[in-house]
Amino acid sequence: MKQESWFRPYVTANFWRFLLIVVLGVLTILFAGMLMFTSGYLISKSALRPENILMVYVPTVGVRTFGIGRAVVHYVERLVGHDTILRILSQMRLRLYRILEPQALRLSSRYRTGDLLGVLSDDIEYLQDVYIRTVFPSIVALVLYAGIILAVGLFDPAFALLLALYVAVLILALPLISLLLTKRKNREMKQARNNLYQKLTDAVLGIHEWYVSGRQTEFLAGYEADEAEVDRTDRSLKRWSRLRGWIGQCIVAVTVVSMVYWSGRQYADGSMDVTLIAAFVLVVFPLMDAFLPVSEAVERIPQYGQSVARLKGIESADESDEKQAPLQLLNNEETEAVIRGGVHVKADGIMFSYDRAAAGSFALEPVGAGEAGHTLTEVSLDIPPRAKVAVIGRSGAGKSTLLQLIQGVLAPSSGSLTLGGVEAARFGDEISSVIAVLNQSPHLFDTTLANNIRLGRPEATEEEIRDAAAMARLEPLVASLPGGLDTRMQEAGQRFSGGERQRVALARILLQDTPIVILDEPTVGLDPITERELLSTIFSSLQNRTLIWVTHHLVGVEQMDEIIFMEHGRIAMRGTHDELMRHYPRYQQLYRLDSPEL
Amino acid sequence: MGKDLLGYKGAKIVFFLVAVCTLAQSMAILLQAKWLAEAISALFAGSTLQEQGETIALFLLAFLARHGIFTVQQGIAQRFAEETGTSLRKQLLEELFRNGPSFVRSEGTGHVVTLVLEGIGKFRKYAELTIPRMMGAGITPALVWLYVFMTDRISGIILLVTMPILIVFLILVGLAARKQTEQQLDSYQMLSNHFVDSLRGLTTLKFLGQSRKHSGSIGQVSEGYRAATMRTLRVAFLSSFALDFFTMLSVASVAVNLGLRLINGSLELLPALLILILAPEYFLPVRMVGADFHATLDGKQAGEAMQFIVREARKERSEAQTGATFKIKDNIPASTGSKPRFQWEKSSVLELSGIGLQHAGAGPASLEDVSFRISGQGRIGIVGESGAGKSTLIELLGGFMTPTSGEMKLSGVKLGHSSRREWRSEVTYMPQQPYLFSASLEDNVRFYAPDASRAQVEAAVEAAGLAELVNSLPGGLAEMIGGGGRTLSGGQAQRVALARALLGGRQVLLLDEPTAHLDIETEYELKETMLSLFQDKWVFLATHRLHWMRDMDYIIVLHQGRVAETGTHDELMARRGVYHGLITSQMEGVQ
Repeated sequence: MKQESWFRPYVTANFWRFLLIVVLGVLTILFAGMLMFTSGYLISKSALRPENILMVYVPTVGVRTFGIGRAVVHYVERLVGHDTILRILSQMRLRLYRILEPQALRLSSRYRTGDLLGVLSDDIEYLQDVYIRTVFPSIVALVLYAGIILAVGLFDPAFALLLALYVAVLILALPLISLLLTKRKNREMKQARNNLYQKLTDAVLGIHEWYVSGRQTEFLAGYEADEAEVDRTDRSLKRWSRLRGWIGQCIVAVTVVSMVYWSGRQYADGSMDVTLIAAFVLVVFPLMDAFLPVSEAVERIPQYGQSVARLKGIESADESDEKQAPLQLLNNEETEAVIRGGVHVKADGIMFSYDRAAAGSFALEPVGAGEAGHTLTEVSLDIPPRAKVAVIGRSGAGKSTLLQLIQGVLAPSSGSLTLGGVEAARFGDEISSVIAVLNQSPHLFDTTLANNIRLGRPEATEEEIRDAAAMARLEPLVASLPGGLDTRMQEAGQRFSGGERQRVALARILLQDTPIVILDEPTVGLDPITERELLSTIFSSLQNRTLIWVTHHLVGVEQMDEIIFMEHGRIAMRGTHDELMRHYPRYQQLYRLDSPEL
Repeated sequence: MGKDLLGYKGAKIVFFLVAVCTLAQSMAILLQAKWLAEAISALFAGSTLQEQGETIALFLLAFLARHGIFTVQQGIAQRFAEETGTSLRKQLLEELFRNGPSFVRSEGTGHVVTLVLEGIGKFRKYAELTIPRMMGAGITPALVWLYVFMTDRISGIILLVTMPILIVFLILVGLAARKQTEQQLDSYQMLSNHFVDSLRGLTTLKFLGQSRKHSGSIGQVSEGYRAATMRTLRVAFLSSFALDFFTMLSVASVAVNLGLRLINGSLELLPALLILILAPEYFLPVRMVGADFHATLDGKQAGEAMQFIVREARKERSEAQTGATFKIKDNIPASTGSKPRFQWEKSSVLELSGIGLQHAGAGPASLEDVSFRISGQGRIGIVGESGAGKSTLIELLGGFMTPTSGEMKLSGVKLGHSSRREWRSEVTYMPQQPYLFSASLEDNVRFYAPDASRAQVEAAVEAAGLAELVNSLPGGLAEMIGGGGRTLSGGQAQRVALARALLGGRQVLLLDEPTAHLDIETEYELKETMLSLFQDKWVFLATHRLHWMRDMDYIIVLHQGRVAETGTHDELMARRGVYHGLITSQMEGVQ
């Protein structure tokens, strides 16, 4: 798949709108120019005191038309412009979503998800500026440039050439110089601003530590010094932009004076009517308004580059994933058949290691955590339908990798992992009807509570949603909300505690109704009482499902059919609670942490 | 608008200089128009270009002077804005870091950072634009109008009448736009957040098997967003339309009117041309105000938000300070006369009496009437259900918060405002998730003791059980960690914080839930390391992991913000009170 640009397809798709915007933009300037032109002509003509007032009837009407017309056209131009941009924005969003969607599960292990997604969505917002601030004004300026030179050229090619030179300074020379002068500084500024942002965020997040350390003044002095550095660059950029503005005005002045001389001479030669002197001189001012902002528009170009580069980076990361060997994916009916047959999870001595080469090639920073430990060695599982298994291990022991293998997100390097006799990876997107996941931080969307639960099964009835909420023991919470199940999450805001959020997510999973449920440390961060209560709700409501439960504590493991201890990618201990208690002193010590009186 | 700027250093001079520049610019505008009109009308009357050379040169001079002065004025305003912004940021950051964590928590980290970085930028824009725009709108139209009126009364009247109409329409349209925005603010926010919300929830959607279908909803909502935005913009753009419309209409009316009177012969070409050139200049300053209105309004609000924070913080501090001086006076023992120090010694006794903390606003107090007496050594456990006030007590003990009632004494010396800083330099605080700065591992460990030697750092790293990790890192101690570097696991982060505390050499350790979020094996190992390092320190450990309590010398049990009972583990178990209840509830398995 060849990468599409983040620019051209939107121009092609909206070609007629773009054309309309440019035409309206040109008209706006032309009308403003014509207002001054006809005004100049009108009073000059009137000063000759024509016999009949009808002689100036046309310019009189023209003055009014152009005056009102310029306001109206400008208004329409801005509306059409923004409408088009918003259309492009929505196309870009859809495209970004479609790029991210297939890699969703791999993304979280690859990047710091929250940061990245925020940045990408900002990038797209930023790209819309390309059009409004850079593309449209530049094209309008170019069209006007060509038009004016052509029109003047019909009268006097020599003067047209002179004008072409003047305006070229405004729309070519100055922007180019500006770009060369400021490119590096602008890049430095952006970099320095990012650094400041990180530095300050870092300090504010660690404010407790700064506070205790008594070194606040030291930080502040350092931070202010950095700010001063940025300010210095900013100052020199602004100084240039002021100077550039003044140079631009000098060109305007020179153009006006040249126009005075040219029209004076034309009149003296008798090749131009006297009434046109004022008209030609006055038209210069509004027309030049179209050319002055081009420098600023062009100066912005490098700033878009970074956003585009980032978007392209994420796109190419996606492509590298697609290079994997194509799998024979299951369709809906086949998945249904597997589910009906009872999904037995089996793994026989699977091995897994990350492909280093592929992992290193991403344009975006990968998470730096010790991936070295994320390798699985000789892991075997045999989980019959409705069995309950707990998985315990340190961070980096390989738990997450094991879960990703079970979900078919990763494929084992050797050995096979099957669900109901079918390779896990072959389920593709159908996996969500086989396995549901309750993780540490399920996302609650900014919609109503009922809609959040409904996500488990969109076609669920109100009745089913209420039942699911009841099973997750959400009733006391629902009763306390002003709008019950129809309360928006935003309104409920911070009132949702960690335990309550997990219950909402649990209700969602109950609706999803899959034979297997993965619990990925759902109780981290909860206090012991909430932890116990949530676990007892989870266990009672999910009695008839297979449970694969990654846990950090041993509370509730007595209920499991098997407890697996993972260490360095291997299974270090396994058995029921009673077996482990009998055979392993280490297990006893650990268990005592959760049951302090033993 | 702009009055609040007067309070800043050098503002009056800037106001004055900008006023002078504006005046000079206005003069240049008049002269430039005059000379251009003269040259053109002379040419019109048949004069030659040579004869008009001087007038044209004068025009050129006036024109360049006008824009030159404008450039200078911009420079003055930019300089002022930069300095004002810097001074506001300094004040804000100083208060932020002086008042500490409680403030950041109440405002939210993201909000604080945005306010400092973007808020200052907006405020600078406001400071930069406001003064020139105000002066411009105040001085230039008046002068131009006066000149036009003196040249030709009728044109002067047309211009005079248009201005109030223009302003009234501007205000009316502005109000209508605001009303419309407010009406659909909720749905508007929902629509604009939808995309980010979708991206953040992408994993969840994928798990639910809804991610593919969801792209339809993204398209739909984006369309909805577009429609809603366009509805607002249609009204919002009307204000600049009104500006344009009335300006253009007014210029056109003046021109047509001039034309008619020229035909009558009641007017010469020169004044007519002059007025025609000046008419757009008359409206220009007001149009500029209109164009920058939103930017300045934004900046003004950002500035006010920051000034408010600084003011509140100062008020709070000055109140605390007057209280503190009183306390210190109260404390000086008459016999010795030496300044009491809030310093820990083995013989110290910590005494809290009637400590209470009520957060601003209504709601129940976080802590109420907390009183206890503890001798200055050993390990003290603080337990209770969530919300019992464990964390609050730890923060009060560390001096991070000021209690709203009661007092805290160390060996008879009260903890006041000034002694709190002294006290803070004695304590180390370890939260549930200690913050690792985006810096090298070594610098993170050195945080409390920036001058520590390499050998000392290595010793601390070794003692905290980090040696193995350090050896496995490619950069060793110099490896970058934190937000911009390698991510450490929760247990490793705790060990870094531990090494930090050790190297700091502070005697008082405050720990808030150090292990609850860790997996049980890590917790076990970390506990071993921590216990060995607790020797010779004065430790306060708040947790709901009750296994720690066996290793504590003394336990404070909190219940709903009050001290329920105190004692050793065995004493408390024998009492069969709140503590016993906590233990037995944890012993029950999951049903």
